[in-house]
Amino acid sequence: MKESNALSSKDLTKLGLYSSFLQASFNYERMQAGGFTLAMLPALNKIFHGDRQKISAAMNDNMEFINTHPNLVGFLMGLLLSLEENNEDRSLIKGIKVALFGPLAGIGDAIFWFTLLPIVAGISASFALQGSIIGPIIFFSVYLTVFCLRIVWTHLGYNLGTKALERLKDSSRIISKAATILGVTVIGGLVASYIHIEVLSQIAINAEHSVSIQKDFFNKIFPNILPMSYALFMLYFLKRKRISPSILILGTFIAAIFLSFLGVL
Amino acid sequence: MHEITFIQGLELAVMAIIVGVDFWLEGLFLFRPIIVCTLTGIILGDINTGLIAGGLTELAFAGLTPAGGTQPPNPILAGVMTTVIAFTTGIEATTAIGLALPFSFLMQYIILFYYSSFSFFMAKADTYAEEANMNAFIRLNILTTAIVALTYGIVVFFSTYVAQNAMQELVQSMPTWLIHGFEIAGGILPGVGFGMLLKVMLKIQYIPYLIIGFLFASFIPFSNLLPVALVGTALAIYEYFRDKAQMASQTAIGGGGSNEGI
Repeated sequence: MKESNALSSKDLTKLGLYSSFLQASFNYERMQAGGFTLAMLPALNKIFHGDRQKISAAMNDNMEFINTHPNLVGFLMGLLLSLEENNEDRSLIKGIKVALFGPLAGIGDAIFWFTLLPIVAGISASFALQGSIIGPIIFFSVYLTVFCLRIVWTHLGYNLGTKALERLKDSSRIISKAATILGVTVIGGLVASYIHIEVLSQIAINAEHSVSIQKDFFNKIFPNILPMSYALFMLYFLKRKRISPSILILGTFIAAIFLSFLGVL
Repeated sequence: MHEITFIQGLELAVMAIIVGVDFWLEGLFLFRPIIVCTLTGIILGDINTGLIAGGLTELAFAGLTPAGGTQPPNPILAGVMTTVIAFTTGIEATTAIGLALPFSFLMQYIILFYYSSFSFFMAKADTYAEEANMNAFIRLNILTTAIVALTYGIVVFFSTYVAQNAMQELVQSMPTWLIHGFEIAGGILPGVGFGMLLKVMLKIQYIPYLIIGFLFASFIPFSNLLPVALVGTALAIYEYFRDKAQMASQTAIGGGGSNEGI
């Protein structure tokens, strides 16, 4: 379906690397538009053989608001450039861009921020806490791989062209659901392992005996019941009351210091 | 009790510039506390403190992500300062997280300021796009990134080298219950981050998986989270193929339902 391939495999690899400049001039007005345009400049220049009018038209279109995921944006860039190369109508190219950047951001956030990060952070932190350098090494290796995959997504977007759209729509829902299941399971484990609340208070029954609230009460009901309650308590404030995380962090500190002063925790 | 030398201050500033650019571009994730703290520990010659601080701060910041355009408390300053405060004052890393937070909030607000003020560059970028002036367009993007990079260097140099004595005096004047309070808060803090993650991810149909992960980690103590991740992977694969089969059978029953309408 493509008449000619103006971009070589090497150009696409470079494009994948340049896509890392997506947020170079991030701002609230256009978000990633500046970096998005920047990353595609060398490829656009090649496709249009330095024709200033065409380059200007493409730059103008790309300078419109965009907010998508840095790890997956190469896919979108490759796809759009394959359309540019076919001399497709400008409004079609723009339409596809606008239609795709949101869903890509959604998939990217679900996979990279909400699934991969808690898992890799949880595992590598558990090593680091034991004083092992393996922790940061695991972390770095995983993200280096994720970074290199940018090049793969870029090639994929360019080579699949518009064929990619259908495929993306079909499988994105199932993939992000599976990713969410993995992520939620790990968060359950993180809550149990890494939130520490130990109640020090004891209730004196008589001179010799006292009941420890933590050991004799909470641990008998269910171990880690306090950490889970606290996480759900935070969830309630964040979701239902829409309180900002910064306020909750400050609140956690104030509460902890107050309870420490009273000797409860 | 340790001193940070002038050279170490400069080294920390250079490191902050590199990881700061990485955070700005969201590139290699060098900006996460686990990496920042380790690098800080290496620069200070105390890698062990760096690793412990890294593990703790990483967990505390696990859910505080910039996904969806909200800027979280800055993970770089949290990482650098948790390690530096633990190193210079000799307190536990759990306590140091709390003392590092003001620096983290400060940097968060500086970045928010840049997000707003960089909007003014966009008119210039539009002009360059109109003229197809590619070199000027590239320079503009480099300028904005450089402003951010330089800011990280300066803030970290002042927060570490210049402020260290004030920080030591502050910690020495703190009563035990206050230090203990900070320590407890450091242990509870991941709860806020996990709450953030759950806010985005937890729909009612996913509650069973939260319970499974929680139960597993509560009753099968293991030094790291790999087993839980494996259980999660098993569940995810199971659901994935179930959904796929369901989708395939739906299209089979529909008999190419998309054609019927024509």
